[in-house]
Amino acid sequence: MALDIKAIRSDFPILSRILPNGKQLVYFDNAATSQKPQCVIDAMTKYYEQYNSNAHRANHTLADEATTALENAREKISQFFGTTPENLIYTSGATEAINLVSYGWARYNLKEGDVIVLTEMEHHADIVPWQELSKEKGIEVRYVPINNESFTLDMDAFEIAIEDASLVCVTHTSNVLGIRNPIEQIIQMSKEVGAHVLLDCAQGAPHEKINFNNLGADFIAISAHKMAGPTGIGCLLATSERISEMGPFMTGGSMIKTVTTDGSTYQNGHSMFETGTPRIAEAIGWGAAVEWLSQFEMKDIHNHVHQIASWTGREMNKIPGIKIYGDPDNKNSSGAISFLHETIQSQDLAFLLDEGGFAVRTGHHCAQPLMDALGVPSTNRASFWIYNTQEEAESFISHLKFVCERFV
Amino acid sequence: MEDASWPSHLDSIVEEFRDCFDSMERYELLFEYAKKHPSPLPLDEWNEENQVLGCQSRAHVKCSLDENGLFLLRAGADAQIVQGLMAITAIAVNGQSSTEVSKLSPKYVEEMGLKSSLTPSRANGFLNMFKRVVSEAEILSEV
Repeated sequence: MALDIKAIRSDFPILSRILPNGKQLVYFDNAATSQKPQCVIDAMTKYYEQYNSNAHRANHTLADEATTALENAREKISQFFGTTPENLIYTSGATEAINLVSYGWARYNLKEGDVIVLTEMEHHADIVPWQELSKEKGIEVRYVPINNESFTLDMDAFEIAIEDASLVCVTHTSNVLGIRNPIEQIIQMSKEVGAHVLLDCAQGAPHEKINFNNLGADFIAISAHKMAGPTGIGCLLATSERISEMGPFMTGGSMIKTVTTDGSTYQNGHSMFETGTPRIAEAIGWGAAVEWLSQFEMKDIHNHVHQIASWTGREMNKIPGIKIYGDPDNKNSSGAISFLHETIQSQDLAFLLDEGGFAVRTGHHCAQPLMDALGVPSTNRASFWIYNTQEEAESFISHLKFVCERFV
Repeated sequence: MEDASWPSHLDSIVEEFRDCFDSMERYELLFEYAKKHPSPLPLDEWNEENQVLGCQSRAHVKCSLDENGLFLLRAGADAQIVQGLMAITAIAVNGQSSTEVSKLSPKYVEEMGLKSSLTPSRANGFLNMFKRVVSEAEILSEV
C-alpha cells in the first residue's frame, strides 16, 4: 500500500526546519540516525514531566508508573521483533549489544583456537570487540571478502570460512553499501556447521520486519535511534539457551541478587545484564517509536525507500565523475547510496551539498576494512527513509549536478 | 588593519570574500585560492610527522623560518576547502615574525563568511591545522 508521505512528514517537526543559510533541510543521513516523530518526543517529555522516577525497588506511585512504562516498552519492542520480553536485553545501542555478546557470552564460552567469522563489510562495532577478544583469548578471527563488482559477500569464501567456526557475526545490511546480505542462507549454513550466529541489525531493522524467533539467529543487535527511537538505547535479542550460557558483563547495581562483603550473587535472565539505573525515558521513547512504526507495513517502507534510492542512483550514474559504491537498484538494497566524485574530494562535496541544505554523511562510516577493500579512504553517503520524498531526491540531483559542473 | 587579529594585508582578501554574491560563489573563490597556494607542501613531503591529526581529510603542515628569520608556512590538504583556507593563512603569516603569528586568531575566516568552516565537527581539518600553525609559531618564537 502506498504511504501517505505528507501525513508522515507532519509527524516530524524537524523536517520543516530552515537551516541558518536559509535553505530548507533535506535530511539524507538516515543510516546514521533517523529523525523522531512527535509522539516519541512527547512520550519522553511526559515521563520527565509527570512520572520521572527510578524504576524497580520502590513503593511509591511514580516508581510504579516508571517501572510499568519501562516494562511495557520491553513488551512492545520484543513483540515488534517477534520475540518475548525475556529475550530482550536493553543496551545503549547495537554497539553495546555486540560487546555484550563478546564479553558476556563469548568470553565465557569460547576458548583458545576457536574461530569467529566476520565479513569485510562489518561496522567497527562488529570488528573491534572481536579483535579485543582474540587478543585476550587467542581466538582466530576470519574475514569473508566482498566481491568488488557486485558489492555482495563472497558466499563461496563464506562457506569455507565457517567450516570450523564457533561464531559467525554478520551485518544484516551494510551501512556503507546498502547491500542486504542473504541472512537466511547465512544462518542456515552456519547452523549446519554448528556455529552460533550474531546478526548486526542496526541498519536492517529500520527497513525490514525483523522476526527474531523465525530467523533462528542466536543473537541480534539493534539500535533504536535509526528507527525513529531516541539515541542511547538499543537491545540485544538472545535465545533463552544463549542467555543461560552468559555471565556478567558489567557489574554493579540492579544486576545482583545479594551482595555481602564476601561476594555477590546475580539476577537471572536479562536482569543480569542491565546494570545500574535503566534507560527509562529512552525505553519509553523507543516503545512509542515501535508503536508509531507498527501503523505501517515494513515492506511498504522498504518499497518507498527503494523507489527513491533506485531513481536517485540511476540519476547519479548519469552525472559525469560520480561513482556509486553499491547497487541501489537492487530490490533488497536499504536505500543507502555511497558515492564519490573523481575530482571533488568527499569532504568538499559534503560542504557543498550542505550549502544546498542536503545532509549527507562523509567519511569511512566506521567501516575502514570495507574502505580498504573498496580502495578508497572515504565516501559520501546519502541514505533515505520513510519521510523522504521524490521531490527531495529531484532537488538533490539538481544540486549535485550544479555542484559537479561548477566545482569540477 | 581592520582588526588586530589579522595582518592588514589580508584586508583585501577578506573584502573579496565579503563581496561574494552567495556562499557558492564564496566556495568557488576559495577553490581558486587553493590552486594558487603561495607555499604548498608537495605530496612527497607529506609524512606522519607533519600530518595534522583529527582531520576528516588528509592535512599536513610544515612551519619554519625563512632566510630572513621570518615565518614560512607550507601546507597541503586533499580537501580544497581546507587547502584554500590554508593558502589564505599562508598569505597572512608568511613573512611575519613568529611572535606575531603566534597571536593570530582565525577570526578572518568568520569575517570572510565561512564561519561554518570553523565548527568543530565539520572543518576540524582547517581548525586543527590552524592550531598547529599557531603552536609551531610559539615554539619558533622561542628559538
